[in-house]
Amino acid sequence: MVTTPRITPDLSTNVGALRLAFPTLMASGCYGSGEEYAPFVDLARIGGVVLKSVTRFPRLGNDAPRLVPVASGLLNAIGLQNPGIDAYLERDVAKFAERPCAVVGSVAGFSVDDYGYVTERLAARDEIDAIELNISCPNVAHEGETFACDAALAERATRAARQATTKPLIVKLSPNVTDITEIARAVEAAGGDALAVVNTVRGMAIDVERRAPMLGNVTGGLSGAAMRPIALLAVWEVAAAVRLPIVGQGGIETARDALEFLLAGASAVSIGTANFTDPRAPVAICDGLSTYLNEHGYAALRDLVGAANPTFLGTR
Amino acid sequence: MPALLTSPAVHTTVVSERREPASGIVIVGLRAPDLAGAVRPGQFVMVVPPGGERCATALAPYECDGERVSLMIVVVGSRTRELATLAPGSALTVFGPLGNGFDAAALGDDVGLVAGGVGIASLLLLARALREREASVRLYYGARTAAALVGAEAFAALGCAVTLATDDGSCGYRGFVTEPLARKGGEHGALAACGPSPMLRAVGRIAVAGGVPAQLSLEEAFACGVGACWGCAVPLGRESAQAPAFPAPSFGERRDYVHARICTEGPVFWAHELRW
Ligand SMILES: Cc1cc2nc3c(=O)[nH]c(=O)nc-3n(C[C@H](O)[C@H](O)[C@H](O)COP(=O)(O)OP(=O)(O)OC[C@H]3O[C@@H](n4cnc5c(N)ncnc54)[C@H](O)[C@@H]3O)c2cc1C
Ligand SMILES: Cc1cc2nc3c(=O)[nH]c(=O)nc-3n(C[C@H](O)[C@H](O)[C@H](O)COP(=O)(O)O)c2cc1C
Ligand code: FES
Repeated sequence: MVTTPRITPDLSTNVGALRLAFPTLMASGCYGSGEEYAPFVDLARIGGVVLKSVTRFPRLGNDAPRLVPVASGLLNAIGLQNPGIDAYLERDVAKFAERPCAVVGSVAGFSVDDYGYVTERLAARDEIDAIELNISCPNVAHEGETFACDAALAERATRAARQATTKPLIVKLSPNVTDITEIARAVEAAGGDALAVVNTVRGMAIDVERRAPMLGNVTGGLSGAAMRPIALLAVWEVAAAVRLPIVGQGGIETARDALEFLLAGASAVSIGTANFTDPRAPVAICDGLSTYLNEHGYAALRDLVGAANPTFLGTR
Repeated sequence: MPALLTSPAVHTTVVSERREPASGIVIVGLRAPDLAGAVRPGQFVMVVPPGGERCATALAPYECDGERVSLMIVVVGSRTRELATLAPGSALTVFGPLGNGFDAAALGDDVGLVAGGVGIASLLLLARALREREASVRLYYGARTAAALVGAEAFAALGCAVTLATDDGSCGYRGFVTEPLARKGGEHGALAACGPSPMLRAVGRIAVAGGVPAQLSLEEAFACGVGACWGCAVPLGRESAQAPAFPAPSFGERRDYVHARICTEGPVFWAHELRW
């Protein structure tokens, strides 16, 4: 029997200038600010937390119900509930300094100006290591997702945020577009440092007893395993279109799922809905990645990035 | 309800028993010593689905004694169906206890408990706590049919008076349990209720009309169960001690309420403070 030499594989990765000890970011809106999950998982064993998206003004969010569990996934329509950037900076941000992992702020907006303004104020804080620009929220009436569905708007929002900070800027794309590579190129041209691929897929459910939509907002975003093949294809295509590092996400539950995204060209992954099934998922994913690297004789996770994608343009 | 100082954790438990007191209602006993010591009435646990399919399921610890915690499961969909088939010896991971439970002290010494269906599961530990300090307790318990009225005897054994109701009249009052409650609810110093939303809304109306304080344990679809996703929102008056601090919205939106998380600020709220 051949025994593989036991080394401790290097799981660290870079998303542009953002250095992560582990390739696992917790997806925006799914992990609070991290403290909610601290009783169940050692936050020092995850790469980082992407915070809930924050907007210029407070938002009460959508009417209930906001969640519908569906086969292999979840529909949500939270509607960007958040206290607005003023209260957020005043009350919430200071406690993020305690996190033993990277902290990525998430900025949402309804105008180009919002993206620049909120990014500038949030990124100015030392507790924040990087900014993710949520131009792809499907759950706010008409406006939120428009920025991710129009290359010119995506470019302007990215440029506004780029001018507002020198910290790593990750722009989050929507799968609800005809050609995602066009949007990815626009973000690259506007100076984005990385891409989060992708946000939720638009969807809905109908209550057959009440003969009415299940979600208070009627439509929602589908996350979880149900969207994984869609997200993986988006990563594959974006990896062939731009050189920017990619944070792959959409239904990643196991190390094998994470590997698919890494091999398609993602430098890191985000994990959202899988935490709702089992809060131990992110640590189990890293353990599984280590086992895979050992079994296949790789010393570093970075060596796998894009390894299955002959059209991968990025660098490892 | 005042915030509870419990320490939630991941618990790896083993199924020690499985009973099916009525078709579609299953009681699963778990060996879970750490959890058994930590649970307070009205709290819940999130149960990791053994097959890994979908989000964890929120369930209320039903009985809790020594090293054992049991769950009462009513089969309504794929996750409850999976949990209802767990055989003794199976491993089951749960995390919790979570949420702020009932405030038993604030209920005084003459309490009406109102249960609709599986809502009974959240009330047994509360009844025990109330009876330990010799409060007078009456249980109002409604279900579809006689066979589904599971667990009423446990309340009687604790010394609670019991009023039963069934939709089909096969046992007790014929109709909704809120109908006998409407006649007698005003006699109690306070009410505590758990069940489907339409029943809780009715209990809330009876309580507010009669000037009786009522604690309602809400049930909604949860995703995280730990306060991370804001998916389980309920409108709560800003005056509530449980209302999360939240700035007034800038334009267009109502200002007299905020969205509270049922899983974190609740699941138990004062009826008169809800704006649902
Ligand atoms: C704090 C709290 C405590 C709880 N305690 C308990 C407890 O002790 N015991 C217990 O049994 N339950 C309890 N519940 C409820 C329990 O969590 C849910 O019943 C469970 O999550 C349902 O999961 P499921 O996958 O089986 O059903 P789901 O598939 O999620 O379905 C839920 C219900 O919706 C219906 N439904 C689904 N799709 C549609 C549609 N398109 N149109 C119309 N109806 C539809 C289903 O038929 C079913 O009735 C509690 C909930 C909370 C929040
Ligand atoms: C309940 C919920 C809330 C979310 N809120 C946000 C948000 O505020 N901002 C954002 O950029 N993405 C948000 N998302 C999308 C996730 O960050 C993630 O991109 C998506 O769910 C796909 O990953 P997953 O399948 O691992 O959950 C949310 C998703 C869920 C399920
Ligand atoms: S279920 Fe996520 S906040 Fe309550």
